[in-house]
Amino acid sequence: MDWDQFDLNPKTIAALKKADIKSVKEVLNLSGADLQRLMKLSSADIQCLLKTVSHTLRRNSMLTALQLYQDKDHFTSQHQKLSLGCSVLDNLLKGGIPLVGITELAGESSAGKTQIGLQLCLCVQYPYKYGGLESGAVYICTEDVFPSKRLQQLIDQQHKLRADVPAEIIQKIRFGNSIFVEQAADLDTFQQCITRRLSLLLARGMVRLVVIDSIAALFRCEFGPAQAALKARYLQTFGAQLHSLSTKFRTPIMCINQVWVEGSRVTPALGITWSNQLLMRLMVSRVSLPRHSAGVASHCAGSMRTLSVIFAPHLPPSFCYYTVQLEGVKGTK
Amino acid sequence: MQREVGTLPLAPALRARLAAAGFQTAQELLDTGPCGLSKEIGISREEALEALQVVRQECHGDAARTAGGSGATRKCTALELLEEEQTQGFIITFCSALDNILGGGVQLTKITEICGAPGVGKTQLCMQLAVDVQIPECFGGVAGEAVFIDTEGSFMVDRVVDIAAACVQHCHLIAEAQQEEDLRKALETFSLENILSHIYYFRCRDYTELLAQVYLLPEFLSEHSKVRLVVIDGIAFPFRHDFEDLSLRTRLLNGLAQQLIIVANDHRSAVVLTNQMTTRIGQSQSTLVPALGESWGHAATVRLIFHWDNSQRLATLYKSPSQKESTIAYHITSHGFRDVQPPAVTHSTEGTELNPRKRPRTEEEKQ
Repeated sequence: MDWDQFDLNPKTIAALKKADIKSVKEVLNLSGADLQRLMKLSSADIQCLLKTVSHTLRRNSMLTALQLYQDKDHFTSQHQKLSLGCSVLDNLLKGGIPLVGITELAGESSAGKTQIGLQLCLCVQYPYKYGGLESGAVYICTEDVFPSKRLQQLIDQQHKLRADVPAEIIQKIRFGNSIFVEQAADLDTFQQCITRRLSLLLARGMVRLVVIDSIAALFRCEFGPAQAALKARYLQTFGAQLHSLSTKFRTPIMCINQVWVEGSRVTPALGITWSNQLLMRLMVSRVSLPRHSAGVASHCAGSMRTLSVIFAPHLPPSFCYYTVQLEGVKGTK
Repeated sequence: MQREVGTLPLAPALRARLAAAGFQTAQELLDTGPCGLSKEIGISREEALEALQVVRQECHGDAARTAGGSGATRKCTALELLEEEQTQGFIITFCSALDNILGGGVQLTKITEICGAPGVGKTQLCMQLAVDVQIPECFGGVAGEAVFIDTEGSFMVDRVVDIAAACVQHCHLIAEAQQEEDLRKALETFSLENILSHIYYFRCRDYTELLAQVYLLPEFLSEHSKVRLVVIDGIAFPFRHDFEDLSLRTRLLNGLAQQLIIVANDHRSAVVLTNQMTTRIGQSQSTLVPALGESWGHAATVRLIFHWDNSQRLATLYKSPSQKESTIAYHITSHGFRDVQPPAVTHSTEGTELNPRKRPRTEEEKQ
């Protein structure tokens, strides 16, 4: 740390170097009394040091809510979201997935979670104008093999799903090239994947979406009840690392999770430790409709599903119906 | 001038040398002069000059303080404190049940902590308060501004817009019902843009940035003297990972709490913190408790715990110096934080709805 570039008294700079204090973090981690002792300076000098160091760290960091609201810039605006490729689903989410934060998609098996994950990997590649982020996606598989056949089907049918986008634009996008598939079946591999591979792809601007399918599978076998604390530590560390990457690169992280079923109650796996890391929680489930319910397309009653918002800071708890078609996931009004 | 050497803000090593040489009061130092001082305790002339300058400044400051009558050590009676507290403002939450159990609302000069599981409504209440703090005085508000420190990235401005618009609408309805001139005048400056422009937003990505931001708060609040609310949403998030050394964490949290208490008192602001819940594994069962440990429980003056009962949201006042422990139900609507049942008819000329503080004023009006 080059203390000379800070706006400090030369006496203070000399004292910092002599006390071998190497970073702003170290300065802020020490108490006022400890700093006085280590650097042999008066309390006024220490106060001045703390203020200067804090100023340098937090320079230009204030925004008013009005500035946030009026910001229309792609690269910073809160209004920008990642579209799901269907106007009904986007309406439920008031635009789509928020760009900063971890969004969870929980549900029973074969409710459609992987389908939505794949669809997002394609949506992210569209231009900003069509709800995309003009970049690729990383798909991290933790249990099953990546469904490449289904992905190819979806790619072939994009023109049908995205009727709102001109055909020449769809043809120009090389969908397959920008989806990076990673396999991570255990915790250590997953950790490596986040800290090395993911950071690299994000830093190079090659991806702007991360899908993890699924987070629960990583924790299924390895932890008994006695290791609850260790499991919590892993969850918090992963959550913090993902959150930090998401904030730094303005990239949505979509975590697919499984659920525990107790009678009629369905709870997402991994408990409150994991829920604390989330910005938004969505749940999908298959609907078993009574045979004579009018108003809903009865020919696809068997495959009708619901997408519900369980919590989100900007959305009320609500839900909508959707089906899984050849071309992808489509909401029904 | 009779100030003891040990209380002067000099470097500890220097103080030790002065004590060893037999200096006891500031006056003795000043009488000795820089040359004498440097010879007596073996420091250079520059250091002696600097030290004397500090001593002179301190004594000057002391004199000014005692002349002015106020200062760091103010004496007052409990009655004076009581009167001061009763005139202290409250920030209403728009949920009258919650305001009642809090004794009027979120109190200025105190730290209030809101704990709860994800999705229960902590951030919603914070956003509501950031709007409500700006309600003009004639409507029963404190006409202040808000600082919002976000560590999780959950501040969604579109939601704040909805809440602010509903609040403005509510005030318009009151103004129309009461047909009073000053209410209508106040509404001219209480608009959506105005409200948004007085919420100062800071995003802190880790605990170091949070610590730095809190060091800078006193200066910011001095420059923006109308701020009456500081929200930190959430305090737990940056401190719950990345800490091998829990004693460091406890020390940093204690330091943070002390600074926030000073900010709350010196600048007459309410400080609102949100905290997560964690599972405490007991012998036979596990319970949900607020995160950050037992010692953190002493930081806040008032502690609220939000929780679910099936699909009803409940708020429990868990700790308060003046109110008793109670639980109420609340609702989160598209307009924001609200009661479960809408309150009884509001458009009477008594106008007691928005805030009990308003009652004294209308009685004066009648005269």
